[in-house]
Amino acid sequence: MKKLYILILAATTLTMVACNKETPTTQTNVMNSMLTNKNWYLDYSITGTSTKSYVGQSTYFVTYLKDGTTKDSDGLTGTYSVEVLGNQSQIHVQLKTSNGNPLEVIYNIISVGDTKLVLSKVVTTGTPTQLYFTNK
Amino acid sequence: MRATRLFSNKFLLLFSILSIAASSITAQTLTKKQLDSAYLLNPGQERLRKIKKSLAKKFVNFVGNDVSLFGALALSKQNINDNGVTAPINYLYNTVNSNTFNSGYSGGFRIDGIYKEKHRYALSFAVNRIAAGNNYKNKYSLSPFIDDFTHFKADNNFTTLSIAAHYKKLLPVNAMNKYKFYAVFGPSFDYKISRISNEQLINGAGNRAIINGDLGAEFDNKGYYVLYAHYKLGVNMTSSSVPVQLNRFEIGMSIKAKDLF
Repeated sequence: MKKLYILILAATTLTMVACNKETPTTQTNVMNSMLTNKNWYLDYSITGTSTKSYVGQSTYFVTYLKDGTTKDSDGLTGTYSVEVLGNQSQIHVQLKTSNGNPLEVIYNIISVGDTKLVLSKVVTTGTPTQLYFTNK
Repeated sequence: MRATRLFSNKFLLLFSILSIAASSITAQTLTKKQLDSAYLLNPGQERLRKIKKSLAKKFVNFVGNDVSLFGALALSKQNINDNGVTAPINYLYNTVNSNTFNSGYSGGFRIDGIYKEKHRYALSFAVNRIAAGNNYKNKYSLSPFIDDFTHFKADNNFTTLSIAAHYKKLLPVNAMNKYKFYAVFGPSFDYKISRISNEQLINGAGNRAIINGDLGAEFDNKGYYVLYAHYKLGVNMTSSSVPVQLNRFEIGMSIKAKDLF
């Protein structure tokens, strides 16, 4: 009888205590699923108080593919990774320019969704530019 | 996925044990078939008989236990407060916020009895398929680009196993020897057994356990069947970055197992 009580107690305790938890990759997985395999068209770029609108125009777009590669409408190609550093989510892009030189660009992710993407280009000097994309 | 299966197995084990315990409370007299089989040695049955006997001694004050099967329609809505989410994710408010009661269903069994010949109670064990409408309490915007969005998307279709302990107060309404009306209240506990999506897990928001306060009314038609309506207000059992309040209305019917089988 004592064994039965112990078994009931153990089963109850296990089911109460054990919960599935968020893993270190949960957030990046969700962001990747929203980001990948879409053409992100630039609608606005804002630097300081200067806002440029590209709505309704044939404009710049960028694509992040599931295989970790990226390409944009300017013909730049490369690889990318989504990373979370502390509370900051970032896209690290390794590009090759048309003359073959490597170039690294880092964007802070301000907001990413199924249809809206807001990035801020990380710069060492000057005012960062915020880029507003739509997945049309 | 493996963890979910593991917990489902644990719950099946827990339910099996509780089912054995429940059935033992009701077994008072032996049928002729049971008397005949009592002469045959069967270690499993012997063990079960001992457990039943022990439980019957233990729960001597719990009498008149009837096991019933029930099914119910459940209308659910959850209020979601995503203030604690820091992940830079947007879900367009109008696409995720329905603010309605959606319908699901539940089924299970319950044991109705009387404690110390005075206090009526019902213990129920159920599987619930919940489809909940979502009401997000917070709206965010990134002007001029995104008007209204939330940082979090809650799962609105999930399955739970639940246990409820209800106190039943007989109401002095109508001819009480024929029809009985009860006011019912008590706690219940739900545990999500379906997979939790990655969206729901972000920033420690995932939570499987829900503790409810239940309130309702029941109508017993001469012991043939019971019609009931329960309201359940549930909250996360453990702290979460996204507190969710689950509102449920259950309208159901229970029939005594011995009348069915």
